[in-house]
Amino acid sequence: MELLVASAVGMMTAAGVYLILRQRTFPVIVGLAFLSYAVNVFIFASGRLAVDLPPILSKTAPGYADPLTQALVLTAIVISFGMTAVIVMMSLGAYLESGDDRIDMTDTDDTDYPGKDA
Amino acid sequence: MSLALIAALPFLGALLPGLMIRSGRNAAAGFAAFFNFMALLGIALHTPAVLRGEVILAQFDWLPSLGLNANFRLDGLGLLFAGLILGIGLLINFYARAYLSKSDPAGQFYTYLMLFQGAMLGIVLSDNILLLLVFWEMTSLSSFLLIGYWKHLPEGRQGARMALAVTGAGGLAMIGGMLILGNIAGSYDLSVILTQKAAIQASDWYLPALILILLGAFTKSAQFPFHFWLPHAMAAPTPVSAYLHSATMVKAGLFLMARMWPVLAGTPEWFWIVATTGLVTMIMAAKIALFKNDLKALLAFSTVSHLGLITMLLGFGTKAAAMAAVFHIINHATFKAALFMTAGIVDHEAHTRDITRLGGLRTLMPITFGIASIATLSMAGLPPLNGFLSKEMMLEEASHTLWLTPWAMGALATIGALFSVAYSFRLLGHTFFGPVRDDYPHTPHDPGFGLWGAPALLTVLVVVIGLAPMTAAAWLVDAATSAVTGEPVHAHIKLWHGLEPLALWMSVFAVGGGLVLFGLHRPLLALWDRTPRPDAKRIFDGIIEPFAALSRGLTGALHDGALTRYMAIGVLAIVALGGYAFVSGAHLPGTRAMTRIDIVPASGWILLLCATIGVIVAHRNRFVALVMLGVVGLIVSVGFAYLSAPDLALTQISVEVVTIVLLLLALNFLPKATPRESSTPRRLRDGAIAGVAGLGAGGLIYALMMRDFAFPSIAGFHLANAKTGGGGTNVVNVILVDFRGYDTFGEIIVLGIAALVIFALTEAILRGGPANDRLLNWTPRASQSGDRHPVMMVVATRMIFPIFVMVGVFIFLRGHNLPGGGFVAGLIVAIALVLQYMASGFAWAAARQKLEYHAMIGFGVLIAAATGAGSWLAGRPFMTTNYTYIHLPPLEEFELATAALFDLGVFLTVLGAVLLALSSISRIATRAGEQSNAEPLDLVLGKEEAR
Amino acid sequence: MMSHWIIVPVVLPAVVGALIVLIMRHDLVLQRVFALATGLATAAIAGGLLWSASVHPAEAYFLGNWPAPFGIVLVLDRLSAMMVALTVALWLAVQLYAIGSNWDSRGRHFHALMLFQLMGLCGAFLTGDAFNLFVFFEVLLIASYGLMIHDGGRDRLRAGVQYIAYNLVGSTLFLFALASIYAVTGTLNMADLAVKVAILPEGDVALIRVAGVLLMLVFAIKGALVPLHFWLPATYSLAPGPVAALFAVMTKVGAYAIIRTCTLIFPPATPATGTLFADLLLPAALVTLTLGAIGVIGAKTLSRLVAFAVIASMGTLFIAISRFDPQSTAAALYYLVHSTLAGAALFLIADLVSDRRAHDRLTESLPPIARSGLIATLFFGAAVAIAGMPPLSGFLGKLLILDATRGALLPLIWTVVLATSLITIVGFSRAGSVLFWKAHASTGEPAETKDEPLAVAAVILLLAALAAMTVAAGPIMAYLGGTAAQLYDPAGYIAANALQGAN
Repeated sequence: MELLVASAVGMMTAAGVYLILRQRTFPVIVGLAFLSYAVNVFIFASGRLAVDLPPILSKTAPGYADPLTQALVLTAIVISFGMTAVIVMMSLGAYLESGDDRIDMTDTDDTDYPGKDA
Repeated sequence: MSLALIAALPFLGALLPGLMIRSGRNAAAGFAAFFNFMALLGIALHTPAVLRGEVILAQFDWLPSLGLNANFRLDGLGLLFAGLILGIGLLINFYARAYLSKSDPAGQFYTYLMLFQGAMLGIVLSDNILLLLVFWEMTSLSSFLLIGYWKHLPEGRQGARMALAVTGAGGLAMIGGMLILGNIAGSYDLSVILTQKAAIQASDWYLPALILILLGAFTKSAQFPFHFWLPHAMAAPTPVSAYLHSATMVKAGLFLMARMWPVLAGTPEWFWIVATTGLVTMIMAAKIALFKNDLKALLAFSTVSHLGLITMLLGFGTKAAAMAAVFHIINHATFKAALFMTAGIVDHEAHTRDITRLGGLRTLMPITFGIASIATLSMAGLPPLNGFLSKEMMLEEASHTLWLTPWAMGALATIGALFSVAYSFRLLGHTFFGPVRDDYPHTPHDPGFGLWGAPALLTVLVVVIGLAPMTAAAWLVDAATSAVTGEPVHAHIKLWHGLEPLALWMSVFAVGGGLVLFGLHRPLLALWDRTPRPDAKRIFDGIIEPFAALSRGLTGALHDGALTRYMAIGVLAIVALGGYAFVSGAHLPGTRAMTRIDIVPASGWILLLCATIGVIVAHRNRFVALVMLGVVGLIVSVGFAYLSAPDLALTQISVEVVTIVLLLLALNFLPKATPRESSTPRRLRDGAIAGVAGLGAGGLIYALMMRDFAFPSIAGFHLANAKTGGGGTNVVNVILVDFRGYDTFGEIIVLGIAALVIFALTEAILRGGPANDRLLNWTPRASQSGDRHPVMMVVATRMIFPIFVMVGVFIFLRGHNLPGGGFVAGLIVAIALVLQYMASGFAWAAARQKLEYHAMIGFGVLIAAATGAGSWLAGRPFMTTNYTYIHLPPLEEFELATAALFDLGVFLTVLGAVLLALSSISRIATRAGEQSNAEPLDLVLGKEEAR
Repeated sequence: MMSHWIIVPVVLPAVVGALIVLIMRHDLVLQRVFALATGLATAAIAGGLLWSASVHPAEAYFLGNWPAPFGIVLVLDRLSAMMVALTVALWLAVQLYAIGSNWDSRGRHFHALMLFQLMGLCGAFLTGDAFNLFVFFEVLLIASYGLMIHDGGRDRLRAGVQYIAYNLVGSTLFLFALASIYAVTGTLNMADLAVKVAILPEGDVALIRVAGVLLMLVFAIKGALVPLHFWLPATYSLAPGPVAALFAVMTKVGAYAIIRTCTLIFPPATPATGTLFADLLLPAALVTLTLGAIGVIGAKTLSRLVAFAVIASMGTLFIAISRFDPQSTAAALYYLVHSTLAGAALFLIADLVSDRRAHDRLTESLPPIARSGLIATLFFGAAVAIAGMPPLSGFLGKLLILDATRGALLPLIWTVVLATSLITIVGFSRAGSVLFWKAHASTGEPAETKDEPLAVAAVILLLAALAAMTVAAGPIMAYLGGTAAQLYDPAGYIAANALQGAN
């Protein structure tokens, strides 16, 4: 099981990294989403894995999964949701403003420079 | 008067001209002059004591932990320089008042001038070398401002920048030297350092310190090879040249060498570096001066030459030489300042400083001529003027100084003197003698007293010191020299030593040779013009400009806005450093038993693999990519459920829905496909980076999972106290709203801000401008339009809406004990409303929900904050919870914790945030022309509209 | 008796921010009044906290009344108090400027975002919990996203997307690091981490080192350390002037976090990590300083020049930090405060200039701008400060840092610091000469006069603060000396947390 989870984290991280290296905003956003999946599972797994031991107190439960990491993941999910919403809208705005969804900007400064015969 | 106050006076004098920039020339000059005079008076009051050999001290702590203290001292050397700075400063003030034209901003001029005076005075009064550094750099800055005073002149701007660069560089080097010196001596106070000769000269750091400090002195005093900035500084108004670049600032380097003489001088290193530099500078500059046609340029190089002379004398390291140096400092200040002022007068009257266009001024401006001739002859070193006396002393010292050979130093010194005679005669002869011309740019006359008064006074000094050195100057020379050498010294200065001394014959030879050179000037000049010479400015620019160009290239290339490269570099750095950290530390592989794998997770894993690969392969088709992404999110949430995290599963799935909806709506306006842009090598590179990153993350979590916690996890406490302390059985929820409620507080604020940002952004987009225009003539793609509000869906969504809300409430209430809680509840209700929007159009939905999203967010945050702050009333810390049990059918018994109130804040914020975000997009959609059916009976009308 | 004041700098701005959103979102005047009032109140409280921290040992505030390490704690010590005070002071000046120059009216929700930004900064400085630090990083980041694109515009939005994307990667990395730390130690409370990392079993060393390095890299992104600095120039130069000025303290969040973690959790004495971070930090800092200085002379617009000056100052700061001894750290803290105020002043001045010019390119000189003399003087002062020339605090800061440098690397460090100072001086003199001197040579009508007394006053306030830092350097260094001493003796900090054994 640990192997599956670890490899899943690796897979999603790799996919995310590959996508954030693309040159358009949309794939980059998808890549960031991938990264947040990856890191959420990573945090979750940092509390070690447990099957059928939900952290809901009851007389009969033999044990519990780590509740803290689950809480941390929840916080992380919410925050990354907010972040994703913002970057989606911002890239939409950038696209509408510039008619171009490239993520790289080209330095628009002219070739002249300060101090020349100043 | 306290030395600190004296040092402060000039800065006070800079105040009013600075503040009342438009107060006329008289006000500015008068105000500055007053403070200048007060400072001079203060020094004068201390003079008797100093002449008695006392050292006046004034000490204040400034930055004790560094050893930087506002300690001032006044001894003979300080007295000499303070006198020069303030005395000549007063004359310059008077002269400049007449020199500046009405168009020149006088307030600025006097501000800068007094700032400089204060800095310069600070240097010579400092008893702490760090304090001295402060003032040292300030002189560079103020001279920068003064040289660039005439902003419209390119020479002024370039000269100012060059001076700042050169002297600034020297100053920075000196910082290093002074810090070393202080560390050797164990204090930055001069009074301590001056007693540490043995320790300093024995230290391994002596030579580095010496070189660094001398770099500062040489650049400031324009010693070869740093002399080139001074002639370019002549673009400054003449009063500035007379003050900074002949009498005071350029002597700061000399002052420093004299100040440090007791601890630094006397070693071979000192002798060879200082004496040689001085000698070379003296001869080289004197030779160049001979061929300059610009009066001020000629005087500038002559100044460099005389500074070299003094440097050389200090380099000899003998008491007599030191005395000669001190004496020549006085004399040079008198005649050179006078000469600069007369040059200014000529420029002012004839509107040119070009010697070749002058001549015959003798008869036109007799007073100026008188002043100029006395000063020039003193510069040439002719008796009975003061220049003669110190030059004799210099030749005397040179004649018995062993440098390479017994006679070399004497001979070379004589040649230097010879050149200075030559250029002096040239200056006098070609400017004032000869026939009166009729082609002056402006016919010159003697100016008013305002202009010739100051130089006249100085020439009087030139004569008096020359005739009666013992009465006029010896006392000052004694005091200063004693301060330099650290032992009482008594000067015996005479005009006539009889025929024996070698120096006499050396100067006779110098004068004779000088006259010959002057006679041969025309052919020599022709020769000079034919010989190629390095142009200092071209060399300087040849260093600066290529460097600047290189910097521009490098900066531009590195920071060209290519985020993809930034990211690649970043990820690589992260992986590399992480890997390094791992291999450089000990690691024991974990020993935990691997959890059993059965068919469900295995198949999920395979599904995940396929979906991930699918996204990578198909990411150019954005809809497909989005669907695949949804699949991945789904699997992740199922995985959470399987691994005993129901809350995570619930949250993940609902967030998933909202995110995908958001992305879909956004994609509506974004290109539907990503073009294939990156080359195969580029994709391979990215693939490799991604690969190592993936391996890193996967490997790390695997290594972590297989080991046990090194110490018992704090989660144990949460499990143990969730029910008893937090009043809930769903530990995750209790952590969220209680143990770590403060995190949640921050988290909902993040959500709220996100919504505000999106709203503000939308406003900015719709405000008009390119984005807005693009939206206004937007053409929805036919393929996707069509029946926008299918009846079935409309009906369905409206029927399930109440159910959704019920579910939301239920989830909310049970949250504390079973999976659920405010956040999920908020999302579920939000989804219900989103469905309404998607089915029936935004305006319809918006028209039917009365709550304002902004208010919902603000209210939610307030409730959360209030719940937290409520515990203050009980004297408990923020967010201390309290709860009681309530039973209201049909729901199972649940407890009403203040935490639940907090959760309500979460619920509202989430709901408001999500809806505000979506409504923003829909506003963009509306702007893009999506008709929304606002009528109540829109089922039908919607259809008709569609037709 | 526990004082609730510690948390007020976090809660008060949040509440007022929410109120503004709730009831005054349509009334700019009310927003201005309330925002300023909140700022002043927070400043007063921050002053009180500063005083309290200077006379009392470190003090913890147990949120939810849960004992550490199980709940979240805030910790007030000399460092956190100082950072909060600095933040609020800068925030007020920026607010003044934004109001005086009407920047706040050019888009929606400026004041709410500013307040949440303030909340996030104060929260990050005060928290004693690693994960909570992450949460408040996110609060201040998302607020900064909003402020950065305030008033929109093509380039600003595109730069905004880059800024967010880069920082989202940073946030993800932060989570990786935190999860790793938790997975090894089983705790998130910083004091508890300090205790446990110090006695970590041999077998976990490699893992905690990885976690620590990842954490440092997150802070290095915030602190714009090469090679993670690339996000800064475009962001700072395209952000609205006042926002860029406020961002001057955002880079310091990274510096603060590194100082905090490397003195508390990973001090050089800890066997697990040892000098790992110092060894990595110094070279990066030297390169950062060099690249920044080169950028100052190579920048093509005024705002980019200032951005690179900020990068250079971060390099200088991290050089001092990387020494990890009390004297260097005290020097670093002095330079931290100085460079924050100086950088902010420069950004505001750059905004004053570009607001009165057709463009802020340093390439062609335009006719003299309105109030040229005054603005030129302000620019000169700020340039002198950031370049580390006397008489302003930058010079003292550099002296302190150079003087604190010891050991074999002294020649290298001194050479880099002094040489880059020269480059910076040359760069600023060239820029100033084009902007304010050459203008007088160019023909053409000067731009129309534009009086913004409040905005100018804000700049003067910042410069006055620098002057005050210079004059009062003695007492300030006394406080910072005490701060450094407190940092290198974490016992007090740990004791304040009154850690309970895990059950």
